[in-house]
Formats: sequence, C-alpha cells, structure tokens
Amino acid sequence: MLLFRSEEHVNEWCQLWNQPKGEVFSLEQGWGMAQAWYGQDRRDPAWRRRTAPEAEEVFKNLGLTSPFWKLT
Amino acid sequence: MDNATLDLETRRAILDHLRTTGELPGADQVAQALQLSNPEIEASFRRLHDGHIIVLQENGRDILMVQPFSAVPTPFNVEVAGRTWWGNCIWDAMGIVALFKQDAVIRTACADCNDSMLLTFENNALASGEGVIHFEVPARHWWDNIRFT
Repeated sequence: MLLFRSEEHVNEWCQLWNQPKGEVFSLEQGWGMAQAWYGQDRRDPAWRRRTAPEAEEVFKNLGLTSPFWKLT
Repeated sequence: MDNATLDLETRRAILDHLRTTGELPGADQVAQALQLSNPEIEASFRRLHDGHIIVLQENGRDILMVQPFSAVPTPFNVEVAGRTWWGNCIWDAMGIVALFKQDAVIRTACADCNDSMLLTFENNALASGEGVIHFEVPARHWWDNIRFT
C-alpha cells in the first residue's frame, strides 16, 4: 500500500511500472482502516489473527464490499 | 511450557522489546528476556512466521516484519513521542500511529515522484497531510508475497 500525491500520480506509477490499478482511498479513509485493523494491542493475550470471515467483517464495516476485499 | 503459550510469550516479548527500544529483537534477545534457549525461540519464530504473525527474513532466522512494524528502514518513517519506527507500507505506518494512540508524524514520499510528504496526527485524528493511498493487491492475495504487498 503506497502513498501518492494524487490519483494522477497513481495512474502514472501504474503505467510506468506496468502494474494494475487497485483501489484508491483518501487519507481519512486510510486512517479509519488503520484504526480498525491495528487498533487492538497485539500484546494482549486475547489477540489472535483474524479469520477470513472476521477480516471481511472489518472490511464490510468500513464500507469495503467490492470483490477486491473478498477473502472467502 | 507448551508451544501455544511459548508463542504467546514470544510475541509479547517481541512487542515489548520493540516498544522500549524501537527495534525488533533477535532470537537471542527474546531468549534472554524469557530465560529460554535460542533454539526454543528460533522454533517459536518459525511457528509465528508460518502462522503469519511475523515475517522472517530470507535467512529464516531474523525478523523482517511484525505488522505494522518493519525491522529494516522503509520509506515510511513514523515518529511517536520522540522515538521513530518504520512501517511496512503507508497503511502500516498509520497502523503504528493507531497502536500508540498518541500524536505522531509520518515522514514519507510520493511513490511516483518521490516528493516529500508529511502526515501529522493529533488527538487521535489526522491533523494535516495530503495525498491518496493506493491498494494495488486484492486482499485475498496479500500473503502471496507479503513483501510486495
């Protein structure tokens, strides 16, 4: 996941490196996604890696419902 | 100690070391902290690697990543309370900020043109910064090559 100055820079980068364009988000959206994904302290003994359905639920709660975010 | 308990203690020791020193530990440092042998901790590292809890370097011994942290310098430098860490990507850099829940600065650059970019966080919110985040790899393929993702 890379940061770009604008979506035009994403397009230039994809063309330059012959890479497919995925999904583009604002910084605010990215911050919300980071908080949802990493907000729990992993030193907590109760922490465990999310299962695929649990991860999809996090994505769904963030509005990420396209096939790009499907895990199952 | 069974493997599940050992792996939990190893995970906690890795993160404690990271928080107090800013660096990811070697197996010898975790072994010393837990008063166990290096081979026991190296085996625990491999189990955590296989379980996608950590990512080992190509040598199969040293830690490369404990998401969201990177053991090696990356373009995603995160400063929290006067100490700096490296994120594996911009999402992970923001993840480090989310973990610490303190004011922070991410120093990075545009992946296309390399112009410097600065994001600041205050009171658990994005305070300043411009740009967009590109997720190139679909979620189901993240672990096909986590280094690229």
